[in-house]
Amino acid sequence: MKKLQFLAIAIFSLLFAACGDSNSTSTEQHEHFEVEGWRLYSSEWDTLYSVYRGKEDSKLPGLKVNANCMSAHIHVKFLDENNKEIAGPNDDEHSLGWDVADSKILDIHFEGGWGFHLKGLKEGETKLVLKVKHHDHADAKTPEIQVIVDKALDADKCPFQEDEDED
Amino acid sequence: MKTSLFRAATGSLLLGGFLHFSFAQEFIQDLGNSIIEAEKSTETILDGLRKDDELQAEKLDRKISTTIAETIKNAPDIAIRSMGPAAARPVIKGLSGSHVAITEDGSFCGDMSATSPDHAVASEVLTAHKLRITRGPQILTQSFAAAGGVIQVEHNDIPFEIALPQGVAIPTTANQNTTVQPTTESNTQIHGFITDYAESGQPGFATIIGVNGNIHGLSLKGELSARNMSDMKTPNGNLKNTDIENKGFAIGASYSFERFKIGASFRNFNSNYGIPGGFIGGHPNGVDIDLFKRDLTLRGLYLPAQKSSDTLSVTFRLNQYHHTEYETKEYVGAEFAVNQANVRVEKLIAQGGPFFGIHFGAELDARSIEMGGYVFTPPTNSYAASLFSVASLNGWRDGLEITLSARFGGAFFRPRESVVADKGAIEDRNFALWAIAAEFSQRVAPGKFLTLNVFRTTRAPTIEELYNQGPHLAAYTYERGNHKLDAESGYGAELEFRDYGEIINWRAAVHSTWFLNHLAPRATGDTNWSQILPIYQVSGDEALLIGGSASIELPAEQGFYAQAGASYVCGFYQNENWSDMPQIPPFKFHGEIAYLWTHVRAGFNAEFALAQNRTDRYEERTPGYATFGASLEFHWPLTLAHYSIVLRGDNLFNADVRNHLSRLKSVMPEKGHNVSILAKAEF
Repeated sequence: MKKLQFLAIAIFSLLFAACGDSNSTSTEQHEHFEVEGWRLYSSEWDTLYSVYRGKEDSKLPGLKVNANCMSAHIHVKFLDENNKEIAGPNDDEHSLGWDVADSKILDIHFEGGWGFHLKGLKEGETKLVLKVKHHDHADAKTPEIQVIVDKALDADKCPFQEDEDED
Repeated sequence: MKTSLFRAATGSLLLGGFLHFSFAQEFIQDLGNSIIEAEKSTETILDGLRKDDELQAEKLDRKISTTIAETIKNAPDIAIRSMGPAAARPVIKGLSGSHVAITEDGSFCGDMSATSPDHAVASEVLTAHKLRITRGPQILTQSFAAAGGVIQVEHNDIPFEIALPQGVAIPTTANQNTTVQPTTESNTQIHGFITDYAESGQPGFATIIGVNGNIHGLSLKGELSARNMSDMKTPNGNLKNTDIENKGFAIGASYSFERFKIGASFRNFNSNYGIPGGFIGGHPNGVDIDLFKRDLTLRGLYLPAQKSSDTLSVTFRLNQYHHTEYETKEYVGAEFAVNQANVRVEKLIAQGGPFFGIHFGAELDARSIEMGGYVFTPPTNSYAASLFSVASLNGWRDGLEITLSARFGGAFFRPRESVVADKGAIEDRNFALWAIAAEFSQRVAPGKFLTLNVFRTTRAPTIEELYNQGPHLAAYTYERGNHKLDAESGYGAELEFRDYGEIINWRAAVHSTWFLNHLAPRATGDTNWSQILPIYQVSGDEALLIGGSASIELPAEQGFYAQAGASYVCGFYQNENWSDMPQIPPFKFHGEIAYLWTHVRAGFNAEFALAQNRTDRYEERTPGYATFGASLEFHWPLTLAHYSIVLRGDNLFNADVRNHLSRLKSVMPEKGHNVSILAKAEF
């Protein structure tokens, strides 16, 4: 009978030990970058796209690129709650992120900072969502932005050549 | 049939209950052909009758589905709040979240399913031996929210049933005493079962294997479970990212030392499930959620030598819950880590003065929650303490039985500083809580009972309701709490009539609750433009909920069987227009006819819901639906084992079903036609 009592105590101890592992979060909470809108500029600082509180400015040309070509540098700025333009966070924690709905049509070339290039892969239309990445999540994101990829051009006929100076 | 009814009737007789002998005879004649079990009851007649609503054994096998909520969905006053097939939680009388407590083996189910529609109940329904919806005054043994209810899930993880001698009552769940079945003379017993479930509506399977054994007084239990289901099929195509993968195990042991019994169990549950996308502001591909839950439960019983039914029990549960929401493989949208400890001390007394079925106890609870990722709630420690009691009495008037219950206590919140929270909102909050209920059950004629339950309901706000200030990606909402909230409170009543006749049984009930401060997140119509999410603000409003339910049954052990039930509830906020409350289920009907042979049961069922046009601001209307189903069951014993096969076809005509309480309703309908099979062998 004593053997059984030992067995019972051993089982209960084992059960107790089984719940002894720590349980805590692996990601930390951080302050977040909140914006009410986004504005995208061409390399010549012409406004290509703007959205404020979900309302897109339909008078703007939008984002276009030819297949087989890279667009000129596109600058990203943000709009605060007063519709005032602000720059992106200048720290190591935040960076630009994106989702392309059809990655066979469009690719993004990123060279750091708050800007990017469109790279047309195949003629067609797709959607782009830009994000402010912060650690493992997104602090802010755009609505789905329509991107038109026009017909393919030979590399030497692309409006923007990759070796051109920017800004 | 109605074994528990007889148990209640005969038990009351034996204990000097209100049933006089002539009535008991009439009552038994009314109810037909069951075996009368004479045992000491500690419950009222009404509680005995309510036990007939429990789902267990074949009745549970017949209804088993993907989740607990789906399994009990046709019980009176029940609806489902959902966000995909995995994230489904029961709603009672139009009340959800913290109004509906879920317990496992009598102690809290430590998950976060009450706080957000995308959080699943962390319990595998296939591992449940019994599901019960607690109503009436007994709710207060588990919760302050008397207006809602308690869903009791019994796993029997601590195998006391094998270790205890016959006749000992164990408070396994809210005032529901498991009376131990006789043990055999043999020193070694082994029981086991294997259950498999598969379906076509969400292609996949679930399996559970369980073994119970007793070796020289040491009782052991082991259980393994797994579920693997792919995306749900709807009439409009597959609903992406609704797959479910659950794995779990449980082990338990109990041992007897003279008048003391001790037991322990450990239950581990892992789940990986998807929340579909496609909402405004949501990720196109939805959100993947990984969670685990671990419960360590220790339990001690003391059985007094002079009266072993007057059990004293102490239960300690240590719970860990971890939940991570992945927006993509790279992005952790939200992370929660909850550590909770709970102690329950309960005493059962069969008879004491004018009272019987006395159940009183105390509960202490400590909970710590940490958040990570994109969650704007500060880490918070919370504590709770409460005393509760339920007792019944009779004898004042022929056929009148009264049950009184009360719960007193407090809840204390201690948020910690956090970079994500508004410093002004990080404020300690203390809440004094009290709830009472009184149920008057009058036998108005043989087999006919009229019951009035009056109650005060309350609950403390949740941590999220107090302190949250940010987006919840998986729920597609931007949630704003309010640290100045008061505790929710209200008064209510329910009037019920039950008639157990020679041919049919029926019941009808109406209920109403007047909330002085009903806490709920309400859509404000504003949007958080950083995340493009609709803003929900928690507010406390005066509100009125009115509803009713009715059911009728033509019972049979063999031959023709029929059953039907309907539920309706409406809710209003008190303002100039008495505007409708959000997330109120529409009128729903469910009916079934079946034919029963000795080992075979065949049936057809129908379910319909009316359109819900009574909606809160910014809430969408939902169309009605009708579905039809069929079932065929086989149950047979063979060579020391019992086998069951349940074949079921649901929504056979592939109807477009929209659940008003699902946030997916604007994207896709619920499950389309579905054929399922459950096979079970017990030895």
